[in-house]
Amino acid sequence: MKAATRLYDDFVLTFGNVLFAVCLFVVWGVLTLIGVVVDQGQSPDQYVQTYAAPIARAILRLQFDNVYHSPWYVGIVGLILLSLAVCTFKRVIPARLPPLRPVKIDKMPLHDEFEIEGSESTVQTRLTSFFTTGGWRLRKRTIDGAEWSFADKHDWARRGVLVAHAGFVIIAAGTTLYWALGFSGEFGVGDGQAVRVARTGAVMRLNNFTYRIAPTQTKSGIVYQPIDYVSRVTVSGRDGVARNMTVRVNHPIDVDGTLYYQSSYGFGLRFLLEHNRHPDATVGGRTLLEGDSFDVPGTNRTVLYERFIPTVDRSNGMPTADPRVNDPAVALAVTQGGVPVGETMLPLRGSMDLGDGWRATPERYVLYSGFQYRHDPGVPLVGIGAFVLLAGLVISFYFLPARLYVQVDDLGNDRCRIGVAATTVKGYDVFASEFARLMVGLKVSTA
Amino acid sequence: MTIALDGLLLAIALAAYVLGALALMLFFFARQPIYRTLGAPLAIAGCVAQFVQLAVRFETTHVWPLLNLYGSLSLFSAMSVAIFIVFAYRYNLWFAGGFVLALAAIFLAYGVTWNEGTMPPVPSLQSYWAKIHVPIVVSSYAAFLVAFVFSCIYLLKFYAQRAGGAASGWLESLPALPQLDVIIYRAVAIGLPLISVGIITGAMWAHEAWGAYWQWDPKETAALFSWIVYLGYMHLHTRHAWRGLRTSWVSVIGFLSIIFCYLGVNIWISGLHSYKV
Repeated sequence: MKAATRLYDDFVLTFGNVLFAVCLFVVWGVLTLIGVVVDQGQSPDQYVQTYAAPIARAILRLQFDNVYHSPWYVGIVGLILLSLAVCTFKRVIPARLPPLRPVKIDKMPLHDEFEIEGSESTVQTRLTSFFTTGGWRLRKRTIDGAEWSFADKHDWARRGVLVAHAGFVIIAAGTTLYWALGFSGEFGVGDGQAVRVARTGAVMRLNNFTYRIAPTQTKSGIVYQPIDYVSRVTVSGRDGVARNMTVRVNHPIDVDGTLYYQSSYGFGLRFLLEHNRHPDATVGGRTLLEGDSFDVPGTNRTVLYERFIPTVDRSNGMPTADPRVNDPAVALAVTQGGVPVGETMLPLRGSMDLGDGWRATPERYVLYSGFQYRHDPGVPLVGIGAFVLLAGLVISFYFLPARLYVQVDDLGNDRCRIGVAATTVKGYDVFASEFARLMVGLKVSTA
Repeated sequence: MTIALDGLLLAIALAAYVLGALALMLFFFARQPIYRTLGAPLAIAGCVAQFVQLAVRFETTHVWPLLNLYGSLSLFSAMSVAIFIVFAYRYNLWFAGGFVLALAAIFLAYGVTWNEGTMPPVPSLQSYWAKIHVPIVVSSYAAFLVAFVFSCIYLLKFYAQRAGGAASGWLESLPALPQLDVIIYRAVAIGLPLISVGIITGAMWAHEAWGAYWQWDPKETAALFSWIVYLGYMHLHTRHAWRGLRTSWVSVIGFLSIIFCYLGVNIWISGLHSYKV
């Protein structure tokens, strides 16, 4: 029992320590930085090619190739949440201004004393007026025969840290909700084609996709700046009713709580495959997207449709940067038994001899539109959490809980001495300039 | 005509910053009020010229001027000077103006090298969020620049005092270390909420444009890293023993992380924010 209590005390002592939280921030920051510097989600070969062998091995073994979803990252965020909870209950909630008790004014780091004319009661009245009009909450106490005034301001603001911590927890809850219940994916659909999204059951038909490019003269030459990507679609949701909608970047559509976004576009390709000049049905009617491949029947050859080249420079036959379709070509790669045997750039409707009587011809292209979809029930919670976190930061930084200790000594002959000392929950230095201004105001208004 | 005005305002801003930096640098070392009298109006003139230049660019091109590195660096230097001017007037800190103006001039001059002329924005930048997210984030960077300058002055004074050679007049005329620490705290207290709002508005924009409020894009994660550093600063600042020297170093590291996030990620690391260059 004693050991358990000691363990609990040690746990609270460690996790409630601000320096421990800062150490966790350091680890969190380092892991985050690793994810910035090391390209995420690449194939193992990519790391081996990019880095020296020991570093590549370390990246892969420590899961730094997908660091944000690694146990280290999730673990450190979990520890921070734990530390935050312990800090909140052990430090933030109990934190308050000191009790109302007399202090030795001249021993306080922030203090000032001055003499003014007037009886004690007159001075007290002026003091009360000054502090209450300045938004201070004034309380008077007679302690050991002496009358003390205690003026508090922004006492409520000591909850700012609590609010900020609560915001962080709400954000974490929102992201967890996505992990538990959310889903996302992407798909491409060609002009005139329809796709059923298995996860949602929605059917999306692409009626038409257009893109607009503006050739712009810059100091370094012509830049082909994309201006607009627009997909006009017909969508059927759970109710089965078909609706015509338009999807463009920054303007997603909502179908049964799942958002669909315009994410990319590309050129699908229809191939004509012939064997001894007779059409073969292997790829007939199929539209290949960039990155798709097809096998040549009866051989171990595969043709990969690498990418579409919208415009080729007629003078040298090389691809240009112009993304508008003028003189199109197709980049193809052929492998035999998985071993690359050649790459070529073929004009549209040009044909390629694949050996053994086989010939492939990229016949025509079809524009396709790339969509992302995402169902995230945690978004409202994350939004609320962000707002709460921000409110907590603003309260913490801009509303400083402070207390003034005020004592009036009657010096006789219609003169009094006013002594004022101040303390805050964030030390003295941060309040020094405001205290100086306050004293100037007090001297003027009580004179 | 308007292009000429654009260039003229840029030249005025750069010249004002360079001359103002020289004057306020002299004020830092010599503390002759004449240098402040010269430097302060130059700082204000340069800052005003920059804001007018940005407005002129927007008015003539009808393209939000902060959508490329040139535009955002222009705002960054203008906001750095603007925030510093507010601090300088409120807390009498003109002595640090030479460093702020010198950095503003360097960043502005560097930004000019990225000026490719006016380009229509790519689809993902055609959003009202561009008018909210970018100025907020850039303003947070500017606040951190001001914090960085005062952190350097803090460290300079601290190590000079510790070395025992603190008797030189210009060093003694600087505010006391605790006061410098409070100034750094106040600048970070502007920057941290701003970068938080910047990250949040960025997430809201990403939710509209890319389909997820957080994609672990290098720019997002670099901003998160900077946020963590300044969060660490604020937590350390709650401890009296860690206030001052250590938090000043954290502020310096924080600003280096901001520069990495702002320029390093945009220029060297490809990601969803690469178009910003």
